[in-house]
Amino acid sequence: MSGPLSASEAGLGFRIGLFADRRFKYLVIAPAVFILLFIGLFPLIYSLIVSFQNITMMEEDTSFSGLMQYRLLFQDLRLWQSLGHTLLITAIALPIELLLGLLMALLFVDRLPGRSVFVSLLVLPTMIAPIVAGATWRLLFDNRYGPINQVLGWFAGEPMTVLWVIKANLVYPAILLAEIWQWTPFMFLILLAALSNVDKNLTEAAEIDGASTWRIFWRIVMPAIWPVMAIALLIRGLDLFRLFDVVWALTKGGPGTMTETISIYTYIQGFRQFETSYTAAIAFLVIVMLSVVVIFALRRMEIAR
Amino acid sequence: MARLKITGLHKYYGKFHAVRGIDLDIPEGEFTVLVGPSGCGKSTLLRTIAGLEEADEGTIEIDGEVVNDMRPRDRDVAMVFQNYALYPYMTVYENIAFGLRARKTPKERIGPLVEQAAAMLDISALLGRYPRELSGGQRQRVAIGRAVVRDARLFLFDEPLSNLDAQLRDEMRSEIKRLHQELGKTMIYVTHDQIEAMTLADRIVLLRDGRIEQQGAPIDLFERPATRFVAGFLGSPAMNFVPAEIVGDGGDLALDFGDGRRLALPEQRRAAYAARAGTRITLGVRPEHMERDRGGSPRPGLDRLRVTIDLVQPTGSRTYGTFKLGETEMVAELQVHDVEKPGEKLDLLFDMNRVVLIDPASDKVI
Amino acid sequence: MSGAGAARGAARRRRRERQRLAARYAAAILITVVFLFPIYWLFMISFKTPEEIFHSPPVWYPANIQFDNYAVLFRDGDVITVWNSLFVATISTILAMGLGTLCAYSLARFKTGGDNLAVWIISQRMIPPIAIVFPVFLLYVWLGWVDTYYGLILLYTAFNLPYVIWMMRGYIEDIPVELEESALVDGCTRWQVLTRVVFPMARSGLFATAVFTFVFAWNDFIFALIMTRSEVTTYPVQVTHYFGAQSNFWAKIAAMSALGTLPIFIAVAFLQRYLVRGISLGAVKG
Repeated sequence: MSGPLSASEAGLGFRIGLFADRRFKYLVIAPAVFILLFIGLFPLIYSLIVSFQNITMMEEDTSFSGLMQYRLLFQDLRLWQSLGHTLLITAIALPIELLLGLLMALLFVDRLPGRSVFVSLLVLPTMIAPIVAGATWRLLFDNRYGPINQVLGWFAGEPMTVLWVIKANLVYPAILLAEIWQWTPFMFLILLAALSNVDKNLTEAAEIDGASTWRIFWRIVMPAIWPVMAIALLIRGLDLFRLFDVVWALTKGGPGTMTETISIYTYIQGFRQFETSYTAAIAFLVIVMLSVVVIFALRRMEIAR
Repeated sequence: MARLKITGLHKYYGKFHAVRGIDLDIPEGEFTVLVGPSGCGKSTLLRTIAGLEEADEGTIEIDGEVVNDMRPRDRDVAMVFQNYALYPYMTVYENIAFGLRARKTPKERIGPLVEQAAAMLDISALLGRYPRELSGGQRQRVAIGRAVVRDARLFLFDEPLSNLDAQLRDEMRSEIKRLHQELGKTMIYVTHDQIEAMTLADRIVLLRDGRIEQQGAPIDLFERPATRFVAGFLGSPAMNFVPAEIVGDGGDLALDFGDGRRLALPEQRRAAYAARAGTRITLGVRPEHMERDRGGSPRPGLDRLRVTIDLVQPTGSRTYGTFKLGETEMVAELQVHDVEKPGEKLDLLFDMNRVVLIDPASDKVI
Repeated sequence: MSGAGAARGAARRRRRERQRLAARYAAAILITVVFLFPIYWLFMISFKTPEEIFHSPPVWYPANIQFDNYAVLFRDGDVITVWNSLFVATISTILAMGLGTLCAYSLARFKTGGDNLAVWIISQRMIPPIAIVFPVFLLYVWLGWVDTYYGLILLYTAFNLPYVIWMMRGYIEDIPVELEESALVDGCTRWQVLTRVVFPMARSGLFATAVFTFVFAWNDFIFALIMTRSEVTTYPVQVTHYFGAQSNFWAKIAAMSALGTLPIFIAVAFLQRYLVRGISLGAVKG
């Protein structure tokens, strides 16, 4: 066999020697990467190409149409409204989920017999299918046979038939309620773990020093759990771009287009209107935008880790 | 049994030059200890011999065969890790048999081999237990058993005793020495503990910053260190180093410490240092090179100094006294009742035959 | 004197602590009841008769628990959608776990592709389905893979790979390297190290990740909605078929949803220890 390797061939000197391992490590990673390119790279390129064409329900015009689709995109009021709807839901739901989750976590963090049972039960809303969650709330909100109106009636003193999923000023509360219900346990679970990991020595030292509970919480506990909170917010924040199932089950984007999320709108454009090229343009923009945000956020987190 | 020969070995981690040109020639059956401070490259060297790291330059030969491109499993070496590396989901028996199974040793032979290794290490009773049920010392024995059972030609130990408490360490040290005597295999042992090095080694290789500072039999390095680093590394408590000037006193040579005190060099050493009269050197004195003057005529080569003991540290079997010579604090090893309280004055005899003189510019012993 | 006072003070403190615990317990129970109520309601509807379902004011507990609604699903053959979900989710989980764990090993031990590859892989998990489903759908149309089992399985596998890789990389990194190095020196090939050391050591992580991956595939709606028609309907899509323009087949909605929720109960029971790590993408090692 030929002699030893030069420094550059040896690379960064990983802990386990290379040798025929070089073949091994590529062989082992190849199938997964190959499949990932299928959903990662291919849609990106394909969307890009198609978005420069002009394929619609009517005609299969694959000639190069430049930035036409993108110009339409920027002028499409309904698209921007759907984005606004998505952001609105995110902006209201996230803080409430965070706050409620934090309060619940604080309740459970000290010793509590049977806590694991509670946690297992409380995590169920997050684990069931979002479409099922949406369907469930649809049933709950029913104006005549749903228990929510019934309970409201108890408080109001007379029967209430609130049209939760139909009336314009009520659909958002309905959607928000369902969303918050499903995802608060997610926040709760993560914050509970984070709170449990806070170093007791720090809080005890502060107690001895005479700090009030409030102060201990703000100055010691919050900074300690902030990294975890940030990750949870990032995950949930990005997930809200996927908002489809729950809204679809409750209102199908209605009434009219009032509760269309960006996912719903894209779906309609692609699979109801068959605006192929236009949908491709939207898809391409979304992929690029989110990739940039995610990669940026991940790099910052990896560096901090 | 195997001969290990390393020539011109270099290893880089990115920009960091961990191993800088090591040459080593270890004959069959020898117990070699690689010792040195953290970061000196001893573990890297060991792992490169094992095949867990690739050498960037140089060759490694085992029994005349160049093994640089061989995978660890093909080099026929056995290794004992600092953290034992026992598989928690396997019993002791299965842990020891692991290597044999991996190499497709026929079933009938595995049993007797494992039992033999277990008996050698006194763990036959533990074969059915799981690692989590064992104490630290027992786990280490299992780890060694796993190496022994394979009858490999070269045994590598990577700081195996570092995780044990002092008493266990003493016990296991004897075990390993006994093992070497019984098996007679070529063994390479890495440690940062100079006591382990001194007691276990046929040959010590003292490493520093990726280079060999000195190698040889333990007593050679201890009594005839080549550099200040070697002198200060071996021996506990460490050697004292104090600056001095060689002054010629009409045919006699002495060391002047600047505070009016001097120590005379013995006759047989004067020739070697006569040329350096008037230069500054560093004197290396081991704590055990000093003793209290009990009266009577001093043996040749010993010289006396009056010192004031500032700090007294009794250990029960001996007492360490700290005093100042020039600007430097020194520690002397005294007998238990030589000194009772700080502030006492003592006459101390220095064995000038055994002290070392060091050139401050090169830190080499002269 | 002071001794007795101290004892009384201690007793008072203990009583206060007991009160606090009781209050916390009450709050915990209240919160749990509130959060579980919708699921309770769903199951209750599935057990009610049509009269009880369409009763105003609503009935909170049926007179008898009856399984007719479920029987209807079996009789009409709709229950095959549950089977479809099970089949597709299981196969895609096995594939994703197999390929993903191997990939994760390469990333964890060899840092293959460096930071860039790892970050790219993880970022794939963050891409919303709607962005990728369209071109993939067009590809499937061209290949004739729409409404096929293997088409949907491939899509689920691909979409869940980043999650599997991400989680398994974390679990593998938790394994001490010495175990693998020792195996290498003792005579194992790389593949043997995987099967004899890595997989056994990562057993619990493998299991937890597999369950989560299964749940993601099981719960998916949008991919199934777009990629299937009549042959390979999964239960989430079937549920939406029961929402009519005029009226909704409440009983069927509830029964089918309940069937789809049962595996979740089992999964949560098994996942107890790994819940936090699984849903936070390994960010929190609770």
